[in-house]
Amino acid sequence: MLMEVKNQIKISLLSIKYAIMREMLNKISFITNIVFMIINNSTFIIQWVVLFSIKNDIGGYSLNEVLLLWGLASSSFGVSRFFFKKAFDLSTTINNGKLDSYLVQPKNVLLSVITTDVEPSALGDMLYGYIVLLIYGITFKLFLLFTLFSICSGLIITAITIIFNSLSFWFGKSDLLAEKMDGFMTSFATYPGGIFKGVTKWILLTIIPVGIANYMPVDVMRNFNLSYLLIILGFTIFIVTTAFIVFYKGLKRYSSSNLMIAKI
Amino acid sequence: MRKYLYIFKSEIMTNIQYIGNVLFGFIGFFVMMFIFLNLWQAIYDDPNELIAGYNMNQTIWYVAITEVLWSIISGRKYTKKIVEDVKTGNITYNLNKPYSYIGYSIFNHLAGCFIRFLVYFILGLLLVFIFLGSFPSLDIVQILLVLLTIFLATLINTLLLTFIGLFSFIVEDSNPFYWVYSKLILVLGVMFPIEFFPPIVQTFINYSPIYVVSYGPARLFVNFNYSDFISIIIAQLIYLIISFLLCLLIYKKGVKKLNVNGG
Repeated sequence: MLMEVKNQIKISLLSIKYAIMREMLNKISFITNIVFMIINNSTFIIQWVVLFSIKNDIGGYSLNEVLLLWGLASSSFGVSRFFFKKAFDLSTTINNGKLDSYLVQPKNVLLSVITTDVEPSALGDMLYGYIVLLIYGITFKLFLLFTLFSICSGLIITAITIIFNSLSFWFGKSDLLAEKMDGFMTSFATYPGGIFKGVTKWILLTIIPVGIANYMPVDVMRNFNLSYLLIILGFTIFIVTTAFIVFYKGLKRYSSSNLMIAKI
Repeated sequence: MRKYLYIFKSEIMTNIQYIGNVLFGFIGFFVMMFIFLNLWQAIYDDPNELIAGYNMNQTIWYVAITEVLWSIISGRKYTKKIVEDVKTGNITYNLNKPYSYIGYSIFNHLAGCFIRFLVYFILGLLLVFIFLGSFPSLDIVQILLVLLTIFLATLINTLLLTFIGLFSFIVEDSNPFYWVYSKLILVLGVMFPIEFFPPIVQTFINYSPIYVVSYGPARLFVNFNYSDFISIIIAQLIYLIISFLLCLLIYKKGVKKLNVNGG
């Protein structure tokens, strides 16, 4: 079992490696994409500098803490888009019958599908997260926590998109719904959790779990809290498992019209 | 001109088929407005407090209009399509057609903007009215004049996006330029009025596309006066001419060095 998981991870990493090599064929375009994504993300610092010049405390966050929140949002977005780009296209893959070529491979179908391509600009998102961490004040402990939470949050985003895209097995087109859900996660992730009150706060801990993917990790990095850490890890395992279950349940309903495509 | 109007009309018909998608997209606008409402309620201790000359309702109305505008005019897919046309050489298919590629692209995009305008402007204003319970004091003539500036803002933005897309003739993939352009508009022209920025940044914004594409129409909507209207219209006309000439120039230069292998 453990050997199988190890082999699967090895295959996925190889798939990502070849996708990176493909993208790096045009080095200028690859580097431009990364650099411009970092500049693109940096522009939002202006917004928060201006807002914090009006008030020192917004929703219980200082400027430095909002930057940390932004860094984590960016880094986790990068993890999901860089390593699992095709998860965000899963609905189209299902609807166009393009799963056929993955079904005949002796490896995990879902992982094979979602790791076949990378988004170079997402590397810029990940790097931006660490640049922000440097500004915030990096320590070894913070570096480890930030990396762990970037991975967890990235996995949560990917898992949610897989669940909603997999609905295509039952309802045909679900890409719009998945896209919207992904948009909600990104939108809420970059604003201090403290500005949301009442029902909204509960929605952000359940239906749109930004509270667990972003707000709690920032709280742990501000003041270490073991129970929050365990909730984040537990939820990540739960949502990733759910994504696998939903995808494989849906896969049983999959049918195609024998689309002939060559995978090189 | 008739052929472009025909393109515009047929694209509208296509867009109407997918009106559900536009309505669905409105949920994203709703969420953003909800976030901004919470944000500004957290920043303003008292709704009547003035920050840079704006009370809370004025600030939220400003953000609502710039968000509506941004939802109408933002053209990530549009720019991407032009970049792809240049990169893949598909642009050549348009060279022997009895229309200009620029004209075709612009009218195609404007049709989508028009449909989004109908949905976002009406539903957007209604939503913010429900949130705030008040509406800026504007008479019918002033509303029409604000709509004129919104139309010009859409046109200028479409031309600037076309220019950015055609910039792929020079840098192969000009999508990153779109990201920076869109984020500059979003951060400096959508999130809050430019009066919130330090004076030196305000000067920069007053000469940038942000003034004509985002700030100008929203400022008029929140606090209309005729002298502001005249300066905004003049600035918009100047930008319209410059952006149109830039598109023509880069297209003519780019097409000359176009090299397509195979097909």
